[in-house]
Amino acid sequence: MPRTRYVRKLKELRQDVIDMGAITSQSVQDALAALETSNTALAEHVIANDDKIDNFDRKIEAQCMTLLALEQPMAKDLRVIATSLKMITDLERIGDFTVDIAEEIVTMAKPIRIPISASKFNELVADVKSMVADSIETYAQGNVERARTFEARDDRIDFLYKDIVGSMINALAQGKCSTETVSDVASLLYIIRYLERIADHAVNIGNRVCYMEEGERRYLK
Amino acid sequence: MSADPEISVKNLNLWFGNFQALKNISIDIPKNAVTALIGPSGCGKSTFIKTLDRMNDLVDNVKFTGEVTYKGRNILDSDTDVVELRKEIGMVFQKPNPFPKSIFDNVAYGPRVHGVRKKTNLNEVVERSLKAAALWDEVKDRLSESALRLSGGQQQRLCIARLLAVEPEVLLMDEPASALDPIATAKIEDLIYDLKKDYTIIIVTHNMQQAARVSSRTAFFLLGECIEYASTIDLFERPEDKRTEDYVTGKFG
Repeated sequence: MPRTRYVRKLKELRQDVIDMGAITSQSVQDALAALETSNTALAEHVIANDDKIDNFDRKIEAQCMTLLALEQPMAKDLRVIATSLKMITDLERIGDFTVDIAEEIVTMAKPIRIPISASKFNELVADVKSMVADSIETYAQGNVERARTFEARDDRIDFLYKDIVGSMINALAQGKCSTETVSDVASLLYIIRYLERIADHAVNIGNRVCYMEEGERRYLK
Repeated sequence: MSADPEISVKNLNLWFGNFQALKNISIDIPKNAVTALIGPSGCGKSTFIKTLDRMNDLVDNVKFTGEVTYKGRNILDSDTDVVELRKEIGMVFQKPNPFPKSIFDNVAYGPRVHGVRKKTNLNEVVERSLKAAALWDEVKDRLSESALRLSGGQQQRLCIARLLAVEPEVLLMDEPASALDPIATAKIEDLIYDLKKDYTIIIVTHNMQQAARVSSRTAFFLLGECIEYASTIDLFERPEDKRTEDYVTGKFG
């Protein structure tokens, strides 16, 4: 096959995006584990780890620009590069949200208490974790069928998000929170919002995978 | 694509002796647009455009079937006046081929052959054609100099001016920039872009980026077949056929 160096560089690019995805996904898992176990040290580890994600972002952007400038990619190669270039922004943003979550965890009183029904909250956390992990996997495998399920999964997350926020505001309104816990409730509201945004970025990644594989442009509603 | 193509090709087959160089080609060429033909050497793209002005007639043992409809007539019919046809459908070749005459006489050659004699008329045609070919400013003070003293890029634009002087409607360009440096290539590409307002252009090119830049539709040829014919953006961004994908990404073979 001709263009062996080019083909190798494209493979390296994809592997780097997958590696960046893996550490971003691990950060999400760690941040949420820190929340669940009130683990300040783990939250601080997530904050420190964000540099690795940012370094990948810069490295992959440079790789994409070099490939575009020197190799004049076409067809699927072009779509892989365009997808990677956009996707690293999604990953980088997910990384930033996990840092935001970790920073809230660090400031919250331990052990962290969730002032509402735990089942919905746990469901939201589990859904967001699996969406992020699955989005990286769909990129790695080029799994369009799976990527197309993300919007429906995101609808469920949006529903849970609104439901939980509503319950927490009710709890606040009914004076169920003490003055000491109000700021922790506010932190939780932020965390839930960050989780909802992380899921949106995972949907973006799924849509980009559809474009990469089939040239089909899908946008988050 | 427009409902009213300039040239409509249906089931075109062409043989050189026993060798079939074109296999069942059916494509519509849109009017006042640039159509690019790409494909590896020997795939039939030059043979295809030479069919459109019957240049293949000059090859021994050539045989063709099918239809090429232009202005309501099948130009493959044996009673087609090929001299008149080549006035309407002109060709620019890979290597610039000016006549060993002055710049003026090169451009005036066609009109003279077609009966224009008056000096003022010829002056007018020469100036208009050189302007249309974006060469006038560079040569207006040296029209009586030999065309062979021009640079390669200027010679190629002179050949385009010579073609425009006979007022064709369709321009066939067989790798018009492949022998030129990047600056001269850019000038030819700009020229092609300007000319499409008034002419239907079909360009054969090995430079895929050039095809992507200048054309609105692109056809990919392989072993005498037209594998895929689509809008240029679709063909380069999301080709449907695996063979097109392999060719445009440079992983052919």
